[in-house]
Amino acid sequence: MFTGTLIYALINSVILCLIAIGFNLTFGISGIANFAYGAFYILSAYSTWILMHSFNLPYFVSVMGSIILTMVLGALMYQLVLKRVRGQAISEVIATFGIGMAILELFRYLGFVGFEYNLPPFIDSSYMILGTYVDMQRILIVIIGIILVLLLWVFTHNTSLGLAFRGIAQDERTALTFGIDSDKIATLAVSLGAGFAAIAATIIIPLGSIFPSEGYDVLIKALAVCIIGGLGSTGGVIAASFLIGFAERFTDTYIGSHWTMIVSLAAIFIVLVVKPSGLFGKQKELEERI
Amino acid sequence: MRTRTLFTACMIQVIVLCFLFVPGLWAADPIVIGVPTSTGFLEGKECLKSVQMAVEEINKKGGVKVGNENRIFAVESIDIRDAAPGVPVPEALLGLEKIILEKKPTALVVGPFRSEALMAGMDIIAKYKVPLIGTIAMSPASEGKIKENPEKYKYIFRSCLNAKYLVKYLAGTMGFIKAQYGFNKVYIVNQDVAWARATADIVTKVYFAKAGWEVVGHESFPTGTSDFSSALMKVKATGAQVILPIFDMPQSGTLVKQWNSMKIPSLLAGFISPLAGPGAWNTFDKKIGGAINVNFEMGSAISSDKMPLAKAFVESYEKRWGSKLEAGHGPAPSYESVYLLAEAIQRANSLDADAIVAELEKTNREGVMGRVQFDEGHQVVFDMDPDKSAVAAVFQWTEEGKRIIVFPTAVAEGKIELPKGLTAIKQ
Repeated sequence: MFTGTLIYALINSVILCLIAIGFNLTFGISGIANFAYGAFYILSAYSTWILMHSFNLPYFVSVMGSIILTMVLGALMYQLVLKRVRGQAISEVIATFGIGMAILELFRYLGFVGFEYNLPPFIDSSYMILGTYVDMQRILIVIIGIILVLLLWVFTHNTSLGLAFRGIAQDERTALTFGIDSDKIATLAVSLGAGFAAIAATIIIPLGSIFPSEGYDVLIKALAVCIIGGLGSTGGVIAASFLIGFAERFTDTYIGSHWTMIVSLAAIFIVLVVKPSGLFGKQKELEERI
Repeated sequence: MRTRTLFTACMIQVIVLCFLFVPGLWAADPIVIGVPTSTGFLEGKECLKSVQMAVEEINKKGGVKVGNENRIFAVESIDIRDAAPGVPVPEALLGLEKIILEKKPTALVVGPFRSEALMAGMDIIAKYKVPLIGTIAMSPASEGKIKENPEKYKYIFRSCLNAKYLVKYLAGTMGFIKAQYGFNKVYIVNQDVAWARATADIVTKVYFAKAGWEVVGHESFPTGTSDFSSALMKVKATGAQVILPIFDMPQSGTLVKQWNSMKIPSLLAGFISPLAGPGAWNTFDKKIGGAINVNFEMGSAISSDKMPLAKAFVESYEKRWGSKLEAGHGPAPSYESVYLLAEAIQRANSLDADAIVAELEKTNREGVMGRVQFDEGHQVVFDMDPDKSAVAAVFQWTEEGKRIIVFPTAVAEGKIELPKGLTAIKQ
């Protein structure tokens, strides 16, 4: 049972990482806490479902279509709404949360509620790993999760656009002096974050089903991981995902599943008390010292 | 000029006579049936459609006779949203009061989803004296309230399964499995919400503790949980032969998929609401073969060849609405409630609420769910024989995607198939 718990803890950690990485990317670069993130996750899942069932498009085409659509909507949200309130943290939160709520409640209002709304797994089989059966979708989640993190690292360290992202993240004013358009980069950051939400939905939703309320859960999980890891820190997100992911599964197995939520909340509380900027966060480190 | 005046007067007389004596032109107002429920949810949608279908059938036959005239039914609905997370009970009650005041229904059917909304709504119903036949909320507490003050709360009835009978069916299924295969180790997994915890505790207390079962584990999962691997590994480690799930959250289908993909050698038998309808087979990627589920009422998304009325209802629904019934709770009693009401009105020969209630109490009708009779708490009696009471249906998903009713034996269509790796103790 210990080995099985380790395997499922690893899978759970990668799921959390996938859920949080897009939110973290947007915040790290543009400074915008995109509270519509969970809504984008659900929006992309419903779009895939609609493209598959109403337009009879193949699964892969539907997935690609929904990822592109979500990214475009992310960019539009920045250009039409966030650009005007950029820099005003409370206004950004209110605006994005409002947009997210509107998207989720619109799906509920339109009747997209029911068990029939789900996405198929990529490969429908299961394999025994070290004495524990694991379905292929979960194995794929781990593989895709690792690939995405590596791609993100390569992108931000080896491409001019990625370096511009990092430039804005490190010091927006200095980056401006180098001719980097901060609005353009912020638009791309929100769009890319939404795209990560869409990719996460595409590979995670087949494990369950699509429900508007799932959008709120995803947002809470993303926030939890980012708060523990430190907002804006990719390394922090990975570390926090593993911390929470392992804590959840081991609590499930050795303490009791009804304590799982408590463990996550306790982790957030302890980190906030001990290091308010998160494990790897640098956002307020100076203020903390003062 | 005189001829024209005479002609006009004659025409007016003809028109007046037509209105007085030609049936249909001077028809009485329809009898309004109100449906205040969560119409945005699957159960709510299908309950409303079932009510509309029953009304159409009755109207096609000329409606119900009240006094000297035939009266047809009309349906008015309102979405009270009580099933949606975060909607406070007072908001749901506003919807209930609104439909009573604005649409002036003779009676209400379906009603709230949440028991606390029903409990609070009972006072509104008593205040306006409008009979309600509820078909979703399940807490037996409403029956207790009726028994305590029958004069005040006599207007409230329930035609669906209540929590007490759900326990009876879960215990009955476990007893049946024990008798057939000799299993005696069970692992309980339930949603961490009041009704599911209470159901699990009561089954443990009134059945498992007394019937020689060993409860080797009991886990409560918060609503929204989508990974059940830890519990399933514990099921395997403890050697439980049966898993008893009690869930109504959408993610609970994941439990069945994981049970299947992790090849857990235990029989999964209990209540998982997403498994009820025929669409579950595709929804859960054809990975639910072997799972046993309690559908709360015969006719709600399932029927047996042994009960022609249930079969006819399920088939008519599909024909009328172009889609199959998917909700395992609500549609059959909702459809049945309209007939109960029509018969009570006809017997009372009146639309007076007290007269209708008096006749509803005398109900003894063979319908979709079996024989329908109300007990003193105004709850339809559920048992195991459709000739004597209403019945639920316990079925097993086959590996070919069919649903075979396995319990109660009076309506069973086949035997329980054990999953791979699990063998019977008793042959």
